[in-house]
Amino acid sequence: MYASRWYDRATMWWTFFQISINERLVYRLDFVIGTLMRFLPTMTQIFLWWAIFDSISTPGSADSVAGPDGEIAGFSFGDMIAYYLLVIISRAFSSMPGLTTGIANQVRNGEVKKFLIQPVDMLGCLLVQRIAHKLVYYLIASLPFALVFWMAGSFFVNGWPPADVTFVFVVSLLLSFLLGFYLEACIGLISFWFLEVTSLTFIYMLLTFLLSGHMFPLELLPARPIDLRGFVEFLPFQYLAYFPAAVFLGKVQGPGMWNGLATEVIWVLTFMLLSRVLWKRGIKRYSGFGG
Amino acid sequence: MLKAHDAKQIPQKSTGLPHEAGIAEQVMRKPSYLNVFLTFAKNSMIRDMSFRMNFILQCISSLSWAAMNYGLFKIIYQFSDSIGRRTGWGESEFFIFLGTIWIINSLIQTFFMANATEFSEMIRTGNLDFALLKPIDTQFLISFPRVNWAQLANAFLGLAVIIFYENELLHDPDKQMNFTIWSVPAFIFFVLCGTVVMYSVMITLAATSIWMGRNQNLHNFWFYITNFYRYPMEIYERGIGWALWGTFTFVIPILVVSNVPARVLAQPMGGHWGIWDWTLASISVVAAAGSLVASRWVFRMALKSYRSASS
Amino acid sequence: MPESIISQMSIIEIKNLTKSYRVYQKQEGMMASIRGLFRREYREVHAVRDISLNVEPGEFVAFLGPNGAGKTTTLKLLSGVINPDSGACQVMGYVPWERENEYRRRFALVMGQKNQLWWDLPAAESFRLNQHIYAVPVVDFNRTRDELCDMLDVTHLLGQPVRELSLGERMKMELIAALLHSPDVLFLDEPTIGLDVVAQHKIQQFLKAYQEDRKSTIVLTSHYMKDIQALCQRVIIIAQGAIYHDGSLDEIVDRFSGDKIVTLQIGGPDEAFEGLRALPNVIEVEPPRIKFRVGRDDVAKTLSDILSTHAVEDIVVEDPPLEEVIAKVFTDAQDAKSLGEFGTSAAEAR
Repeated sequence: MYASRWYDRATMWWTFFQISINERLVYRLDFVIGTLMRFLPTMTQIFLWWAIFDSISTPGSADSVAGPDGEIAGFSFGDMIAYYLLVIISRAFSSMPGLTTGIANQVRNGEVKKFLIQPVDMLGCLLVQRIAHKLVYYLIASLPFALVFWMAGSFFVNGWPPADVTFVFVVSLLLSFLLGFYLEACIGLISFWFLEVTSLTFIYMLLTFLLSGHMFPLELLPARPIDLRGFVEFLPFQYLAYFPAAVFLGKVQGPGMWNGLATEVIWVLTFMLLSRVLWKRGIKRYSGFGG
Repeated sequence: MLKAHDAKQIPQKSTGLPHEAGIAEQVMRKPSYLNVFLTFAKNSMIRDMSFRMNFILQCISSLSWAAMNYGLFKIIYQFSDSIGRRTGWGESEFFIFLGTIWIINSLIQTFFMANATEFSEMIRTGNLDFALLKPIDTQFLISFPRVNWAQLANAFLGLAVIIFYENELLHDPDKQMNFTIWSVPAFIFFVLCGTVVMYSVMITLAATSIWMGRNQNLHNFWFYITNFYRYPMEIYERGIGWALWGTFTFVIPILVVSNVPARVLAQPMGGHWGIWDWTLASISVVAAAGSLVASRWVFRMALKSYRSASS
Repeated sequence: MPESIISQMSIIEIKNLTKSYRVYQKQEGMMASIRGLFRREYREVHAVRDISLNVEPGEFVAFLGPNGAGKTTTLKLLSGVINPDSGACQVMGYVPWERENEYRRRFALVMGQKNQLWWDLPAAESFRLNQHIYAVPVVDFNRTRDELCDMLDVTHLLGQPVRELSLGERMKMELIAALLHSPDVLFLDEPTIGLDVVAQHKIQQFLKAYQEDRKSTIVLTSHYMKDIQALCQRVIIIAQGAIYHDGSLDEIVDRFSGDKIVTLQIGGPDEAFEGLRALPNVIEVEPPRIKFRVGRDDVAKTLSDILSTHAVEDIVVEDPPLEEVIAKVFTDAQDAKSLGEFGTSAAEAR
């Protein structure tokens, strides 16, 4: 009896997973083009930083085989480029396009009602859907990713990191997926209280872009007059982009690395819990108002 | 079987309508494109004003994006005093460049972005039908209906930044700026040329959704292609960058779009144009005219393939 | 350019018009979806096959047919929104898909399922825009608008954003927007879809009055028999992309329904009534009334038989309900097609 219940559950999620994958595969051309496009900004960034490093390095070194020899905030030119490439990987895990607005729309047009009627959990549904979408994405994107990293191999001056660092890197990526998911889900769920979350989404996007290290390594943030660099340490955003990349490049090492990982776990649990609370409260409020 | 284009072989038929006499006069009437555009602009304004909060938030958000961009380069100029060695893009010059980009982007977003997106949407939903019914140029009709006034905020910000840093440059004894009475009209002219190029690229992209089905990536694609024109073209002048430089100067001249007007105001060579400056300027003009013609051609081809959603 | 009057000829001429679509055939299952990434299967849909017809000036014609029969496609071809694969068509001497401005200034298309009004603005603003697009002189524009608003009773709603209007009110506004430039030919694609009975009736009344007043030529598609009964002298039944019948509504009933429905009221003792229960094709028995179906040719004989044996107090002989007849026509049409009369070709293109 109990076992078959679990079996039903599993079948339901599996079916749902398959539907999500199918849905994703329909727009194939969009997909391939979209993936390749992702690397275009990195290309301009390489040239931008190349020019910047050129102006602070020994004359002539910029066009030598070794590249410009200057350093900015402890980042050599190679580090800088490697950083941006790694951030693309972090963001491939942690970014959740359309999640917030999707939830907000469901609340606004009353579609959430179906989760009150059917024995399905909305957050669970969305999570399965995301996993499916991401998997399809990695399936198709792995090839262009491999190509770009192979071509950009020379920027990774220190080569492949040791096993423990690689382990932390991979785990932090998986956690960044969960963190991104629950963080955005929480923002989406706020729409139970404020119908218009577009501006909120925008602020979130802005903050992530700036404080997650997506735009530049957090080391560049000024410590004076306000200690922005120290400030971001207390926020969850850095785990969405900066942390995995910094681990890989050895910018965060030893105890700092393990502490960081532990903090990331705590953030994930916090937002997981918060999203549950918001959902419970939100639904209560929603049905209280009669939809 | 009769082919569609043989239709002319059917003899012209009378209409037999009661108000036949009025038709000649009716046929003569041409819509005033200016009036139609002004109505678009006015209607959009009415709409924006009925969602005032949203309008303000939009202004704030686009301004904060610009501010963030500004912040990034403020940080970069803490570490270096120029982008590229001896390229002439010091802090003041670069911020004039940035201001120029903001103005062009803002013009595109104010007048065309929403419309291009809406155009792909119309193709998907079949609402393009209505545009095709109207006795007015279809490309005009779909290019202008929404004016997104909130996005104009960045143009003003760009203008302010340009004025501030131009002033810095003119008072810097080390720089020999050559700012003449012609600099301003030249700047405006090349900004407009650039806007036309970007508009053409955009509408061409949007039109491709007729063949590609749902074109979700239009926005992304736009974001990515504009990535290349956000920086001075000198940064590409090395290694394989030359390929990009060549492509985006001569083939899809988006580098020219931003660089020409910015150079007019920011580069020390200001008033004395060398052969290269003249070349770039002419590319800009030719590109504006050429891309506009090309976009019209693609647009027509696209309409031919349009099959209208659902039967 | 259209020649002016040669003789009294059709305002719409359609000759062998054909249009088909290629639709992506979605496969079931995940593996199939992945295969679909590399190779897609398409199905050919023949939306319009070899349609020929003429419409005379001032006619009010209805296209009737099941969903997906090709009615809307035909209207879209007529309004030049899509190009045909083959065949010819002229409306007022213009080839629609050449989309000449002169042509586009002289007709209008209203689609019940789509809206062309600006969602967030009052309808008045959309009207004003159309005035500029169609270059309607201000005086004419004001007069036409006021007249139409008056007829449809929506003057008080002109200042309200369209999104706040009810479906019926919105449809009325759509009609006004389409009629502001006084088109000579009007195409209406399911103008009453989704409306309540009152709104439907109002729009029918309006269309009738408008057409009688302006003598415009109107082609309408609809699912509602009421619309067609109220408005159209001529009905063209389209099924599976081809014309199945072209004539008046009465003709349809004559042609496709061999039955009449007879209702009798019987006087006298109940035993006599009981005998009638044995009649074939009884629809309803509710003493002292009985309702039954009988073949058209047998009406006289059946009635005289009954009259000779029963005390009949009242007789009503009527045609079966139109919906029923049409439903039968559609089914017949489908059957005719599947018997291979037109030959379906599900081509697989790669």
